[in-house]
Amino acid sequence: MPQAPEPEKLDVVALVDTAERELAAAATEQALREVHARYGGREGAIKRAVQAAINAAPKDRKREVGQVGNAALQRIEGAFEARLRSLGDEARTRDLARTVDVTLPGRSHRPGHLHPITHARRAIERIFAQLGFTLATGPQVETDFHNFEALAMPPDHPARDMQDTFYLANSDLLLRTHTSPVQIRTMLAQRPPVRVICPGTVYRRDDDPTHSPMFHQVEGLLVDEQVTFADLKGVLLHFARAFFGPATTVRLRPSFFPFTEPSAEFDLSCVFCAGAGCRTCKNTGWIEVGGAGMVDPEVFRHVDYDSERYTGFAFGFGIDRMAMLKYRISDIRLLYEGDHRLLEQFP
Amino acid sequence: MKVSVNWLRELLDGLAATDSEIAARLTAAGLEVEGETRLGAGLSGVIVAEVRETRRHPKADKLTLVDVFDGHEVTQVVCGAPNVPAPGGKVVWARPGATLPNGITLAPKEVRGVLSPGMLCAEDELGLGASHEGILILDSDAAPGADAAALLGLPDTILELNVTPNRPDCLGHLGVARELTALFPGARLRPLSADLEPWLSEGPVTELATVTLEDAEGCPRYTARVLLGVKVGQSPLPVRLRLQSLGVRAINDVVDATNLGLLETGHPLHAFDLDRLAGHAIVVRRARPGEPITTLDGQERALTGDDLAICDAERPVAIAGVMGGRHSEVGPATTRILLESAHFAGPRIRRTARRLGLHSEASQRFERGTDPNDGVTLSSLRCARRIALSTGARIARGAIDRYPHPIDPRAIVLRPDRTERLLGTPVSPSEQARILTSLGLTCEGDEGPLRCLVPTFRPDLTREIDLIEEVARVHGYDRVPATLPRATGVGGAPDPAAEAADSARDALWALGLAETLSFAFIAPERIAALGFTDGRSDPLLLQNPLREEQSALRTSLLPGLLAALQHNLSRGVADVALFEIGTTFRRRPRAPQAVSGASCSEGGFAAEDARTCEGKGEPLPDERQMVAGVLSGRRGGWLKPGAELDFSDVKGVVEGLLDRCRIPGTTFRAATSDEAPFFHPGLRAALTVESNGDTALGVLGELHPALRERLGIALPAFAFELDLAPFSTAAPTVMGPLARFPGSSRDSSFFVDAAIPAAAIQAAIVRASLLVESVHIREDYREPGRVPPGKKGLLWSIHYRAPDRTLTDDEVNADHARVMDALKAEFQVDTR
Repeated sequence: MPQAPEPEKLDVVALVDTAERELAAAATEQALREVHARYGGREGAIKRAVQAAINAAPKDRKREVGQVGNAALQRIEGAFEARLRSLGDEARTRDLARTVDVTLPGRSHRPGHLHPITHARRAIERIFAQLGFTLATGPQVETDFHNFEALAMPPDHPARDMQDTFYLANSDLLLRTHTSPVQIRTMLAQRPPVRVICPGTVYRRDDDPTHSPMFHQVEGLLVDEQVTFADLKGVLLHFARAFFGPATTVRLRPSFFPFTEPSAEFDLSCVFCAGAGCRTCKNTGWIEVGGAGMVDPEVFRHVDYDSERYTGFAFGFGIDRMAMLKYRISDIRLLYEGDHRLLEQFP
Repeated sequence: MKVSVNWLRELLDGLAATDSEIAARLTAAGLEVEGETRLGAGLSGVIVAEVRETRRHPKADKLTLVDVFDGHEVTQVVCGAPNVPAPGGKVVWARPGATLPNGITLAPKEVRGVLSPGMLCAEDELGLGASHEGILILDSDAAPGADAAALLGLPDTILELNVTPNRPDCLGHLGVARELTALFPGARLRPLSADLEPWLSEGPVTELATVTLEDAEGCPRYTARVLLGVKVGQSPLPVRLRLQSLGVRAINDVVDATNLGLLETGHPLHAFDLDRLAGHAIVVRRARPGEPITTLDGQERALTGDDLAICDAERPVAIAGVMGGRHSEVGPATTRILLESAHFAGPRIRRTARRLGLHSEASQRFERGTDPNDGVTLSSLRCARRIALSTGARIARGAIDRYPHPIDPRAIVLRPDRTERLLGTPVSPSEQARILTSLGLTCEGDEGPLRCLVPTFRPDLTREIDLIEEVARVHGYDRVPATLPRATGVGGAPDPAAEAADSARDALWALGLAETLSFAFIAPERIAALGFTDGRSDPLLLQNPLREEQSALRTSLLPGLLAALQHNLSRGVADVALFEIGTTFRRRPRAPQAVSGASCSEGGFAAEDARTCEGKGEPLPDERQMVAGVLSGRRGGWLKPGAELDFSDVKGVVEGLLDRCRIPGTTFRAATSDEAPFFHPGLRAALTVESNGDTALGVLGELHPALRERLGIALPAFAFELDLAPFSTAAPTVMGPLARFPGSSRDSSFFVDAAIPAAAIQAAIVRASLLVESVHIREDYREPGRVPPGKKGLLWSIHYRAPDRTLTDDEVNADHARVMDALKAEFQVDTR
């Protein structure tokens, strides 16, 4: 008897062809998975067709039919995997084709701005903290004793003319002209060693592009056994280099302050021209930034320190001036106007 | 003070340095040279010429043809000056080939058709000054053909010295010259001639005048000399030019001689017209209160009992050490002079000068301390000599000298090893002695301590440390090495207030605000505009403000921030977000008399020492560190157009600040008018913090429309101001448990009476629930139509969680139901 055709087998082959076509045509992963679910897998049409063919096949051919069916299922799986990969590749390609105008501004999560004086003050505080100086503060309205007398400036002392003072009405109190009163308060409150810096707001009756009636100062004080003028020089040099860069040099010039002796003016090599001479340094190559010196024994007497046992140095300079030099701010009055256009230039 | 380098050189032998070297060395030794002016630099080939004849230029009315004689021949020069002298006058002629300080070398030149071989010079052309009013007319005794530059003392360098207040000795050329002997080994002072012999008259001075010293405390020494037969005239040109170059106006040869004396020795002198002194007497005494005097500047001034007066037999004729009187001024008619050289007590002179606002060359020197010994005598001798030389006067024999308690040189012991220990660098004892000797001290002692005698022209040297400084500055600060101090112990304590302020700064920075600083003194009306009802309405005032709008110490940071806001708006900056951290000042009540210094130390800064409080019973003000901010405009960003700011923005900023600074237990509530009169009545909050009961921390809100209108601020603005004190006691950060079991959320939406604050509902939820972990409000809507009248709609999200197990739906539902029942019972919420 001639053998009948094997419709089951033909059905499976046709189904596989259709499935392969549909898999290859699936445009999305979801569509692909739907096609795959329809034809492949345990519940799929092909599995069902193969099973039917096996059932219908004579016993001696069941094995052969099963092999054909398995091969068909493997083809479907292969086609599915291939299409999945190619869909992934297409998606990656599309994703990589996206662009953005990187020059557009970002979504705003911007922090604000700290005042240039805050930036300068913090940098100064950090540098001196590394040298072991702690912070000390004090009141801005002061007594004559703390601001002048304890600093060896008794009434009628000519040096009082060096600092034009604001006084409170109907009162002997004054707006401190320097943060030196904080040094006095610190020494009255503790015994040596003393190693503090005193940043703060100070006031002098003065108003022009380089002088503001209110400004900020930082003073340093170190009192211990064996403190020398050479140490003062070393500390100022370290500060200047840390703040303005390693090429900076420092010059101490003899001067006079009633509360220090020997006293010095503290000059920096010009940060604009590196000493070559320019308008800022008036062609001298040096910028005068502050005063310094060894604490006068008269000051120690006022705070009851033994000037034979202890020596110390003090220094002071304007934070505003440091900020102006560092950030090249032309007019000190700009620092106190609250102009957003200036403030926004600082991080 | 200005010094002439030529003059310094006249006082010294063996000074080889250049003008620039001198300037550099003076600066390095503490006499800072703030300016150098070169006079007549490069001037050469100019000579003295005598005018022989003058004619008008044929083609120009303003030009003159001048025949000048150079000692050999007569030459015609064209001159444009209006002051060509008559024949016989002496002028300065720059001949062809001469070089002027401006660099021009002269050549014959045709001027309107007439050839001019060089020119006659004005002051500015000679590099003498700025004057170009006419040509320089020389004294009549100038010899034609002589080198004019030498005659005029050119070239010279004028140094502008910044003399510190401790160095009165350097307010004269002699002192600066002495300083140079220390700075330039080899330079020595020349002896100054003080010989009066050729001009002495017969009679002794005591027959011509009397001096009575009644106030020896104010005037430790008073000397007088008398000059007779004075003919007052003009000083010779070189003297006038020297005075001019040193910034002193020439007046007449007598006054000029006293000024030259002052510039030479640094010691002020005064010349009286002896015949205008009643009784030919000088009485040095305290002025009587209200006693009048008309000073040389023509002002009538009333004296006080603290002022030292130089009087004649009847009345004050000079304010001692400050200014002479007009009545006894030396003038053209003067023939007899009483020359005063005295030593006055610095503090007295300073008080008088300050009170009268009269700071003269003399008062400046007496205030700082003059030399009672050589300074007084030498300047008197030198000045008498000068007057005699230039006026032909005779000098009465001797001087009246009232010096009841002579002031001796001071002895100070210097330990050379102390110098080395203080400076941190070796300086040999012999070098230390050399330096001090060159400065005029005498030093004894070979090994060990040096015994030093300080001349009285150095009143600033009173202690060993003063001598150490002299050694250090002359030795040179640049020769001291730079070392770092050895570290011992802990040099100070932490400052929590400063750290808290910096935390607040960082928080506000992170929240997008820009930090500003404003002056602590402001216009009183800017404070008044805020309408404070407490102590802040009564600011402390300055006695001597620079201007009215900087006369009150701020009691709040807000006025300054509002001014900054106005500043920005006026410059077209519409989006403003500023903050400031700063000190405000409030009056503290005066302490009752019985209480000692304690009142000073309550709160704020302590006045550790009774000295600072006693007497006036005057406490330091209450200084409070505040943090404040102002916001106006739109929210940042460009992706969605920025919305206008509202109350929630300023509240968000304050919450962010509190969060960052770890301030626990803060409560917001609607603020009263007293608390924040400057805010909109419906849009203002007060913030309190729990610490020893509720403490007010500050306020926030929208600026009151009336205030905005007054300040010209068109758009809504928001502000806050908080006291920073609680920030320095921030809660410590301690890690809490991390949830191990999942929780579950329930959302709940309901209507409730619009007046009930959200915080009250939130508190009720927390109270009612056993399992609540967090409560968040998601929505607050009030649009009419969406909510019944008088109500608001709220949407809450409540998260429930147990620390020890996973909650079942039943548990959560039961707890949520408890919450909703409680809200219904307490607030009659409507959950439809």
